[in-house]
Amino acid sequence: MRRLFMEPIGIFILAMVCQLYSCAQNVSDSVEQMSYASVAGEEYLEGDKIETNLNNKVFFDFDKSSLDASDKSLLEQYLPFIRKAKIVRLEGHCDERGTREYNLALGERRALEVRDFLIVKGISGKKIRVVSFGEEKPLKRASTEQAWSENRRVEISLY
Amino acid sequence: MRGLIFLILVSSNNIFSILEIEILKGSDNLSKIAFIPFGIEKNIDEKYGDQVSSLIEKNMVLFGEFENLNKNEMLSFPSTEEDFYYRDWKIMGVDYSVIGRINSVNALGNLNISYSLFNINRRIKILDGEIVGNENNIEGIAKIISNRIYEKITGLRGIFDTKLAYVVNSNSKTYQICVSDIDGQNEKILFSSPSPIMSPDWSPDRKKIAYVSFENGFAEIFIQDLISGERESINALGMTNSAPVWSPDGKSLALVVSFSGNPDIFSYSLNTKRLNRLTNHYGIDTEPSWSPDSKKMIFTSDRSGSPQLYEINVQSKRKKRLTKDGSYNARGKYFPDGKSIFFVHGNNGNFQIATKKLSGRFISTLTSTSLDESPTISPNGNIIIYATKKDENGYLAGLTLNGKSRFALPLKNGSVREPAWSPLLK
Repeated sequence: MRRLFMEPIGIFILAMVCQLYSCAQNVSDSVEQMSYASVAGEEYLEGDKIETNLNNKVFFDFDKSSLDASDKSLLEQYLPFIRKAKIVRLEGHCDERGTREYNLALGERRALEVRDFLIVKGISGKKIRVVSFGEEKPLKRASTEQAWSENRRVEISLY
Repeated sequence: MRGLIFLILVSSNNIFSILEIEILKGSDNLSKIAFIPFGIEKNIDEKYGDQVSSLIEKNMVLFGEFENLNKNEMLSFPSTEEDFYYRDWKIMGVDYSVIGRINSVNALGNLNISYSLFNINRRIKILDGEIVGNENNIEGIAKIISNRIYEKITGLRGIFDTKLAYVVNSNSKTYQICVSDIDGQNEKILFSSPSPIMSPDWSPDRKKIAYVSFENGFAEIFIQDLISGERESINALGMTNSAPVWSPDGKSLALVVSFSGNPDIFSYSLNTKRLNRLTNHYGIDTEPSWSPDSKKMIFTSDRSGSPQLYEINVQSKRKKRLTKDGSYNARGKYFPDGKSIFFVHGNNGNFQIATKKLSGRFISTLTSTSLDESPTISPNGNIIIYATKKDENGYLAGLTLNGKSRFALPLKNGSVREPAWSPLLK
């Protein structure tokens, strides 16, 4: 057993266990750093994007991440497509107001709100990918209420 | 050899220099300084006399803190104390005068520059200095002399040899992280990408910059060496690592890791590569920044329902809320003395730069435009540069805290944001 932990694979398993523990318990003070296999260049990007005739965006109020009734009804219409898709990519965005790092976190929270709604509706969390771009990728580059409301969004892509 | 490569890289980019400081409003009751052309010994090119004094003049008036006396208004051009008459400057309303002489040291182009600073109102010499440097580095020599003059007059550290890092978005398809001298000269592109880049931060030794890049499709922290250009990814745990900030002792990075969508603040030891969790809350915790003694951090959290600033003791992990006014107080940083903070304050839909004493109750707003963000402070604690917007373009603006001068650093093309002021050279 002691020898196993001397091996790289042993260390990897230990690191995995540490990480799982910390995620599940969220109490660990000090977590061993592990070199993640890059999640970059995800395989689904290579695959075919599934086109739908639905609006692929849900919008939010300033500094808010909650879904209103119309957002939920749009997501409901999406469900048949989502069930067929292999990968659901949820991209969270914010308007330019406020600070950039906070907006990065807020965009992630918006995408997670959509993910949680989909999971409640029976979609497997395993096929959902969440990414936030904060305020870095606005749809409209203008400092108007109209542009801001269009930029506070989660974009849904299916693969 | 490394130093040589760096020099070549820097000088080859001389032609850009895209940031240029424009004074919008000078300090209240500006002191007037006469920068008298330096005297030269024979065997030295005459151009250096005027060049050195002009470079010092350009530095000293850079942020609108001082006024200069035009050369054509000068009644005499003394270069030694014996030839210097206070009355020539008093009648022109001058508060300080700078004189100097340039001597040759050897045939390799080394110059010996001596200089003096006079307080005209008190009729005394307040500074004598001497520096040896090469004629290829006149700008660097002038910066050192400017620092000493600035320190003598203001009592604050001179910052003319500091640098600024910033993010340029020249069109919606190219993002660059750039570094330039504080006057916008010698711009160098550190990294260029078709994906967004954000949150640049300097290492305390000024040799590296940490930043966030989306080049792999998600927020990922990189550390880049300024000399070699080498980049290292700090993918601490999973996706969405953000807001890296170097501890003043250089040992750790404060950063934000989002485990399954819950961003919390960690310190990451650069030596052991271990993560130490500092916050653990279901709300958003982000934008950490170290106190000057590396013992505390300020951070933004929406745990109360809106983004507010908190302070945490890194050892005990005890937290204290710092702001209560308004529904948006974020991206706080400490002043170099550790006694006050500056941050982005949202008020009636306007986002402005504000300060607050840690021991005080009230916040004071420093800016008056509506989309102000990412403030950064000079290492002497007197100048704040921040990002703001006009029409669709981002530009940098700044102000001095003691004299209330205001300036802008417009960019010729595209949008610039997220300024990060370098530390002083140790």
